[in-house]
Amino acid sequence: MGQRTSKLNEDIKLDHDLLRGPRHLTFEEKRILANRVMKKHGVAGVTLHWVNAISWFLLIFTGAALLSADYLKFAPDWYLDMMNGIFGTKHAMLHFHIAVGVFWVTTLLLYGVFGYKNYLLDFIKHDLTIDKDDLKWFPAKAKNLAGKLSHYEMPPQGTYNAGQKAYAVVVAFSTVTLMITGPIMAFHIGSPAIIQWSMMLHFLATMSVFAGVFVHVYMAALFPEERPAFFSMITGKVNELYAYLHHYKWWKEVKNDEHVFFAKELKKDGIHLSELEECKSIKDHVVHINNIEGNEL
Amino acid sequence: MSKYAMVIDMDRCIACHACEVACRSHYDVPVPYYRNWVHDLRPEGVYPEIKKVSYVGLCNHCDDAPCVKACPTGATYKRKDGVVVVDKDLCIGCGLCAEACPYGARYLNPNNNKIDKCDFCIDRVSEGLEPACVATCIASARIFGDLDDPDSKVSKYVSNGALQNVSDTVNVGPNIYYFDSHNNFQVVKAAFPPKVPKMPTPQKVWTNVLKPLFYIAIGGTFLGQLAAFATQLFKGESDVKE
Repeated sequence: MGQRTSKLNEDIKLDHDLLRGPRHLTFEEKRILANRVMKKHGVAGVTLHWVNAISWFLLIFTGAALLSADYLKFAPDWYLDMMNGIFGTKHAMLHFHIAVGVFWVTTLLLYGVFGYKNYLLDFIKHDLTIDKDDLKWFPAKAKNLAGKLSHYEMPPQGTYNAGQKAYAVVVAFSTVTLMITGPIMAFHIGSPAIIQWSMMLHFLATMSVFAGVFVHVYMAALFPEERPAFFSMITGKVNELYAYLHHYKWWKEVKNDEHVFFAKELKKDGIHLSELEECKSIKDHVVHINNIEGNEL
Repeated sequence: MSKYAMVIDMDRCIACHACEVACRSHYDVPVPYYRNWVHDLRPEGVYPEIKKVSYVGLCNHCDDAPCVKACPTGATYKRKDGVVVVDKDLCIGCGLCAEACPYGARYLNPNNNKIDKCDFCIDRVSEGLEPACVATCIASARIFGDLDDPDSKVSKYVSNGALQNVSDTVNVGPNIYYFDSHNNFQVVKAAFPPKVPKMPTPQKVWTNVLKPLFYIAIGGTFLGQLAAFATQLFKGESDVKE
């Protein structure tokens, strides 16, 4: 086991040290972390993100053209003409909007029902709940953007930072609103008063999401620091340097799980911790994790 | 181009309600709604100076129709020949047009939850027939025709002093004219004056609060990101991966 454990030893030494808390990294440490990857999103998450994104894109572009009363609409007349031209008739556009909407609602419901245990609960618990560290993040991020605060001094963040969480909350509420108000209008359910309120809420929900979408897209696709997040929505993975700098709490959680798992696997292989005399840091580390997690090995 | 209109000759109307029944049967209008109605007012005056007036009404196919402006989806629109129609496939049954109509000429059909109203029997007219109510009127009290044609019966009625149901506050260019020589139309106007178009609360909030708010919010985030991107372009990207 000599070579295997000594390589593990190297890796784990660094992890063990970094697990104590965020700190400045040396160039060598950065290089090591940048070359390691961590799983951030499962296939289900990546698929849902893009189905959702494409649906939103189609629905916003047709929805904006369906609204034609002067006092309610926000798209200019030439846009309405253009969309009518693309779809041929307004009826075709309306049917398209409803069809995409039904597809979108069905997909989300299927995810909600079948992924309730594995994804939805987790999403609500981790990604929609804003904690104390998150509240400290907003003023810190403002300072960080102004160049007055480094990454290392930022309040540590979970899988998503507070800004992403706040937007996720808006999107979640809007999504539920749209899933209810859309069918009410499309299938003429309820009295005119219900449909009138539905229209207003449909608009409110859409615009709340739309107002934030520029930040979302810019941050993910164009902003250099967050770019790994964009690629994680394709590969499902991020490099550990990004995870360490931007989502320390999450990085720590994953590392802890990884090392607990690792120690169990070693035990399965018949390697007991007592045999790892020469690999002192693994043992230290596992003991350290046991203390945190209260796990028994 | 034609501009369709209808004249109600109140001197000739005997309030038999045949027009109402013809319309109801032609379009399967469920009770208690109307596309076209005869409202009988209570008798007025002291014998022998007594009169009984009926309000014969239908969609006024207004030139400046409030229902067309109110419709969010464009389902209600004014044709080039002046007829205001509802495209049922685009109607979502929100009822905003019905709230806007000064004449109460629109109703939500409970059979399909969509708005229905008089369309001057445009399908019949395009085949060269008269609207059902006109064809059935035994006294020829309803006259349908083209206002753009100076020789048409309706044009002649209008030049002879037929009046629209308008008030000082509400005048949206209705195309139903009333002719009478006994001041009966004044009684009808007093009983059924055109109502000021209404807008429900959610739409008021939408147009007065949400729309300006979101123009600012969306404009703000868009310009903010644009500024950030411009800064990023100006600074250039660092070569070190971090």
